[in-house]
Amino acid sequence: MTPLLPIAAAHIKGPYIDWGSLSPFVALAVGALLVLVLGLLSSSIARERVVPALTAMTLAVTIGFEISRFHHQTSIISGALRIDDLALVLDLVFSISALAAVVLSARERGAARAGHGEYHSLLLFSVFGMAVLVSAQNLVTLFIGLELLSIPLYILCASDSRRAASLESGLKYLVIGSVGSATLVYGLALIYGATGSTDFAQIASAITGNSVQAGGLLSDPLLLTGIGLTVVGFAFKASVAPFHQWTPDVYEGAPTPITAFMATATKAAAIGVFLRFFDVAVIGTQDTWAPMLAALATITIIVGNVGALGQSSMKRILAYSGVGQAGYMLAGVVVGSQLGIEATVFYILTYLPVNIAAFAVIVARERERAGGDDISALAGLGARQPWLAWPMTIAMLSLAGIPGTVGFIGKLYLIRALVSGAYTWLAIAIVVGSMISLGYYLRVVATMWMGSPEQAPARPAVAGRPAIAGGSPEADAADAGGWPKADSAVAQPEVVLVAVLFSAAGILFGIIPSPLLKLAAHAGRAITGIF
Amino acid sequence: MAATTFGWLVLLCPILGTVAIGFGYARLPGRSPGWIATAAIGMSFIFAIAMLIALLGRSPAHRQLTSSLWDYASSVGVDAKLQILVDPLSVFMVLVVSGVSTLIHLYSVSYMTSDRGYSRYFAYLNYFVFSMLLLVLAGNFLLLIVGWAFVGAASYLLISFWYRRDTATKAGIKAFVINVVGDVGLVLGTFFIFTHTGTLSFLQTFAAAPHVFHHDSTDLVAGCLLLLVGAFAKSAQVPLHTWLPDAMEGPTPVSSLIHAATMVTAGVYLIARMHPLFELAPTAADVGAVGGCITLLIAGTIGLAVTDIKRVIAYSTMSQIGYMIMGVSAGAYSGALFLLMAHAFFKALLFMAAGSLIGAMAGNQSLDRMSGFRRALPFTFGCFVIGGMALSGLPPFSGWFSKDDILAYLNHRGGGFEVMGIAGYFGAILTAIYTFRMIFRAFLGDPCPEAKELEQGHIAHVEVPTNPQTGEAEDTDVGFPGPGHYIAEREIPMKIAMGTLAALAAIGGFLQVPGVDDAIRRFLAPSFAGSPLAAAEPSNGADWIGLVIGAAIAVAGIAVAYRVWVLIPGTSTRVRERLSPLYQLFVNKWYFDELIDFLIVRPVAWFGQMLDTVLDRVLVTTIVTDGTVGLVRAGSAAVRRAQTGFLRYYAALMLLGVTGVVIYFLISS
Amino acid sequence: MTLSILIWLPAVIALLATALPPKLVGRVAAIGSLLPLALSISFLARFKSGQSGLQFVTDHVWIGTFGIHYKLGLDGLNVALVVLTTVLFTASLVWAASREWERPRLFYFFFGLAQSAVLGAFCAQDLFLFVAFFDLMLVPFYFLIGMWGTGERVRATTKLVIYTLVGSFFMLVAAIATAVLASDAHGTPLTFVISSLQHLPLSHTSQDWIFLCFAVAFMVKMPLVPFHGWLADGYKAMPIPAVAVFSGVLSKVAAYGFLRIVLPLFPYASVHYQTLVLLISLWSILWATSLAFTTTNARLVVAYSSIAQLGFITLGIFSLRPQGGQGALLQMLNHGLVTAPLFFIVAALAARCGGSEDIRDMGGLAFRAPVLATLFLIIALATLAMPGSSNFVGEFMILLGVFKAKLAISVIAFLGVVGAAVYALRVYIKTMHNRVGPKAQSREITLRDGLAIVPLVVVILALALYPQFGLKRSEQTLKATMAPAELQDGLSPAAVAAVTGSGRP
Repeated sequence: MTPLLPIAAAHIKGPYIDWGSLSPFVALAVGALLVLVLGLLSSSIARERVVPALTAMTLAVTIGFEISRFHHQTSIISGALRIDDLALVLDLVFSISALAAVVLSARERGAARAGHGEYHSLLLFSVFGMAVLVSAQNLVTLFIGLELLSIPLYILCASDSRRAASLESGLKYLVIGSVGSATLVYGLALIYGATGSTDFAQIASAITGNSVQAGGLLSDPLLLTGIGLTVVGFAFKASVAPFHQWTPDVYEGAPTPITAFMATATKAAAIGVFLRFFDVAVIGTQDTWAPMLAALATITIIVGNVGALGQSSMKRILAYSGVGQAGYMLAGVVVGSQLGIEATVFYILTYLPVNIAAFAVIVARERERAGGDDISALAGLGARQPWLAWPMTIAMLSLAGIPGTVGFIGKLYLIRALVSGAYTWLAIAIVVGSMISLGYYLRVVATMWMGSPEQAPARPAVAGRPAIAGGSPEADAADAGGWPKADSAVAQPEVVLVAVLFSAAGILFGIIPSPLLKLAAHAGRAITGIF
Repeated sequence: MAATTFGWLVLLCPILGTVAIGFGYARLPGRSPGWIATAAIGMSFIFAIAMLIALLGRSPAHRQLTSSLWDYASSVGVDAKLQILVDPLSVFMVLVVSGVSTLIHLYSVSYMTSDRGYSRYFAYLNYFVFSMLLLVLAGNFLLLIVGWAFVGAASYLLISFWYRRDTATKAGIKAFVINVVGDVGLVLGTFFIFTHTGTLSFLQTFAAAPHVFHHDSTDLVAGCLLLLVGAFAKSAQVPLHTWLPDAMEGPTPVSSLIHAATMVTAGVYLIARMHPLFELAPTAADVGAVGGCITLLIAGTIGLAVTDIKRVIAYSTMSQIGYMIMGVSAGAYSGALFLLMAHAFFKALLFMAAGSLIGAMAGNQSLDRMSGFRRALPFTFGCFVIGGMALSGLPPFSGWFSKDDILAYLNHRGGGFEVMGIAGYFGAILTAIYTFRMIFRAFLGDPCPEAKELEQGHIAHVEVPTNPQTGEAEDTDVGFPGPGHYIAEREIPMKIAMGTLAALAAIGGFLQVPGVDDAIRRFLAPSFAGSPLAAAEPSNGADWIGLVIGAAIAVAGIAVAYRVWVLIPGTSTRVRERLSPLYQLFVNKWYFDELIDFLIVRPVAWFGQMLDTVLDRVLVTTIVTDGTVGLVRAGSAAVRRAQTGFLRYYAALMLLGVTGVVIYFLISS
Repeated sequence: MTLSILIWLPAVIALLATALPPKLVGRVAAIGSLLPLALSISFLARFKSGQSGLQFVTDHVWIGTFGIHYKLGLDGLNVALVVLTTVLFTASLVWAASREWERPRLFYFFFGLAQSAVLGAFCAQDLFLFVAFFDLMLVPFYFLIGMWGTGERVRATTKLVIYTLVGSFFMLVAAIATAVLASDAHGTPLTFVISSLQHLPLSHTSQDWIFLCFAVAFMVKMPLVPFHGWLADGYKAMPIPAVAVFSGVLSKVAAYGFLRIVLPLFPYASVHYQTLVLLISLWSILWATSLAFTTTNARLVVAYSSIAQLGFITLGIFSLRPQGGQGALLQMLNHGLVTAPLFFIVAALAARCGGSEDIRDMGGLAFRAPVLATLFLIIALATLAMPGSSNFVGEFMILLGVFKAKLAISVIAFLGVVGAAVYALRVYIKTMHNRVGPKAQSREITLRDGLAIVPLVVVILALALYPQFGLKRSEQTLKATMAPAELQDGLSPAAVAAVTGSGRP
């Protein structure tokens, strides 16, 4: 129970409000506003130290509330939102990824330029939007959530306002994003028109036809067109091909912490709403939409993985790999079963830590040398900065689905769901995608460990501290002679910490996946009424 | 002690010798490795005699003993134990092998003195004797094959003993590969038999055979024919004989031991050992007999033409083994084994004499260069003549009794076998001619420079040693024949060895005089008990008639040789010109090497190239690998091309996507 | 002493060794590797030959949701291979310890990890666990080749990993499908434990495609033609200790997989595809043999010879006859024992020929190196499976099995036997005999090389005297393994008896 409750009971007369279930939202909203206000203070201490701290605290509190709400399936605001384990697990993902983003942003130019207050409160608002989105129980809240999620991101992408690329990415995101939203709202409208209701449950019953018109509207063009447009809207957010093209450009341009946030949280939110909408509202028409999504998933897997091959910017590589991964997750949606949901959620959970770790490494390198997001910036990293090289290695292996990492279990779960959902061919598609993906994941690893353009000689065998246990980056860089002054290791322990922690999680849960599996199972059980 | 115990001891001695010499190669001084080796073989000869006595101590019915140490490979139906079979046949072989080997070791002690690889040589030689004894003592197919391959390996090692000569290494690998072909034949044959009998042990196989195979059943014939492949490869029978002449690259004692006295006769032993199977598969037996017959003729003709003294003896070996194979396949078991023993004596002797001669020639082996060594090498001359007379079957030498025993049996058996008998007599003429051709050319006539030098009292010596085959200068740091040369006249051990063998060659025949003592036949009888063919021996009268004919033919042959090479010198050249095509055929060894090269070697090489280029390079690499990679590359290029960076294109593509999706949903509505 | 200790010990030792100063790491790793060796031998000693079931079983639930167990166990199929693994890794470590490596800590860490993964793959009795270990083996080798390899190392290692993972990803799908379809078909809870899956036969159609997935994965790993694209580059690039264990042990994991998983779980498909697999193996044998006597790179000769050997092994397995299977198991052991020292010797030869592995630069090396020559000769003769070597017994039983199954194929396969004689002796002669090669200078084998090679040669000789050692433990298990396929093949009542006798987990 939250401290807010007695106050509420004392003073406010009106409809009963389940503050407990609402607590995460409250925390986020209050936090966001506080941060915004604090940001107005003139003292740089307040802006540069307190604001991030407060943001982090807010997120921490939110996480606390989310965890405390587990296992209560409640609908709030007269059924507009549903706080169940699915929503909460995804909220957890958003908050953690935001937290990581905050830490990574500690020395970020973008944050300074935008003024820390705005930067951080926008981040919190975006998280708020995501939370709303994945809890949405009717079309309206769904759309509100989506916009609340997107608009802050448009700004955040452009926050590094002196850098043209950042502005460009913000603009691109805005424009294409609006097209996406437009499509979505159009689709929602059509669905409403067809079913005469905005509430998911009623839409579902309308479709399956327990309501007035018997036989339902399984093949009602209006409804199906609506669904089609909705698919596109979601697909856009999840950067599913062929609606993915904004992804590489935006990811590359945006400040890297924001990219990390988008790559993990936004994707999770989009996939989450896919689950909500298709497994609750329009589950009745699964026979119709499943093949479509399957096709989209396949295209996405191929396009994403193939696209990543030729890239040289790490952020673009990760963008494309993200596209590919979105394809895998979508495959979990296709089967429209309990298992499918579990698999998808689990995959999101596996995807979060390793991606954050990878982006953290990029952040670190970007601050150490010009063009730090280029793959060449990683050359010889294994010898010079093992504390950065290992996290990146683990991330790549996990994304490639190598055993010992959490990504392997994720693939297992997906394939298992697909096989029992009679979509074995889609499983094969995933596997083929993974094979192609090896082409670039291994390239990254090879660049880090196996020499470099200038064939940086590995440290002499006699050198001091264990290559594997690393020692401090500075020392490593120090004795790796012959490197441009531009590339000098900067002390940024918080970034290294993020990288190490999250990659460690990637290994840990690869060996002991049970905790994540439990989470996923709960999330899956949250949605009832499907086999 | 039991006979089998002695059997194991017989095997133990030589292998211990090998190990001892092998480990002590760096420390053993001077000739000691040679003496160790000789002693080891001597010991196993003594144990062999002990084994013989132990065996004779038992009643004839119980002279087939087996003994096994441990399971070698016995699992899922395969039942191979480490098992020896001691019976008259194996004892007979063990006696011949170990006896002759001892003498040849003794000979080598001197002959190889100056060679750098002295201890290596004796390690190999002991290893060979061990392998040969294992071969003849083996109690089941698997061990037989092991021995079979071991002697092949030993022969390879000793042929290419002077491994800096590429002629030697080539000859070695040739011998080894052809022998592997033989092994394969043996293995496949074993498979055919095993799949029916379900056991690898000899005695059980022979016991089961009559029940599981009906007379001349296809599988048995196939099996026996494949066994014959093994026998032919090992015994250098046409068409698997081409390795034997080249094998003369090895040191002369090696030729004498392996390529005359023992290993090459393994095929004869094999057929004798397998006689119960061959008698059930007469077709295969006939093939064997015919093969032997053809070989003895072809080899004889080649022996007339070639001029390298060792190769002449080699071809004569082929032809003599042809007699044995023919005989043993036809059923003249005791006769064939008798000839095997006699041949071991006189052919080893001939090689030793030739070795002494080559020593006197400072390594040169060509008959064209030799002449008139009669006075220079009296002892060698004597031995050579005795060996020659035994070989060409003059009474009362061992060759006479044994060979004509076989021929008499063939004529007596009839049913087409007389033809072979007659062919055998024709071969006998050839034998006499080429044998005495050697003697007359090498020892009679005016002494050649080397002979003269030797009469002055010192052995000829060449400044730059050259490879007798190619004439190229030898590699002088190691591996060429030792600089020193040795002749029997000056080396006691050589003299003893040759003397003993000369005596045996001369009187060995009396072991089996028809009607008087049939020692060998009676001794071997238990091994061939229950064989109708072995029982069907000709009468003593028939035997004696055969012997008389044989003697007459030998005399005639020698007379011809005498006329051609002594009375009217130059006859040979005239004959050569008159029968030029025939001569070409003989001197080119009937073109067998060329034939095999054309039929097998080239096609295989071509096949390899084809697989490599066509299948691997083109199919796998180009199409599969590069194809896939290219496809993916093209894909990524396409994706990057679509990623123009311009909003309008993105929007356009999105709209395209939207329409696509919507249309799908509309259609499915 | 549970199997887990045996499996993870190498990795732990390697990890601890990273704390040491670089000079010491190698020696400590080498000495440390004696522990797992001793352990594995103790398991071998305590192994009961008579029975077919699993022994020393460790069984914990790993991922309950999927019925995935962390189940390890030894039986006739893998007990010898486990020992082979520890032996070869020790030998390779001894060889490596006497040399300088850049960043030795990392090197030995990956080496230890590799050993743990291989041991895991051999001991795993759970389908998913096997797949996991099977893929995990690749990671350390990826780094070993890429960081310490020679020549085109990065390209080679990437090629190797992608080739292999293509196979294993299909295998992953196949494995999951096996479990899921089995549980769906029989309405049992999902399980990946192999022994349980044996009692949940799959439909013929599913067996067909699942079989193909597994077969591809294994054939890539071995490799057999036409999945050998990675081989030449990979073997040429690998550092010697890596290539020794790779061709000595890792290739066996694949062959072992056929026996452990494919034959018992997909008997129908095994019979259905028998001829196809036999032909592929035959093709591999002939192809590899013909290449082995055309190539001039000594290392590649060994590489191709091991393709040919694996061809024989597969031939034996898919004869679907007990003799063939026994022969295959024995041959796995033998081949591992000869191929590793061969690579060491190739390295020794190269060291005497200015680092060149081209046999045209060699020749006449036997002159001052009688010991090296003798060792090489013994190994070469064993490689060509000369009768008297244990390799021959293996080949004998393999070909006997094939002979019973498909006569023609076994007859053609004998060409490979003859070919082996040619290429093995060719290499021996061209390196050791003939005139001295342009770059060659004869030196006797060094002690450090001897330490790695001699023990292996001793083992080879011991096995030659007593091949039964490699046969007696596996007989019962193997019969049980072959039985389902034999039944499918409509074979002897003996097979039936074996099944009913041993089906129980």
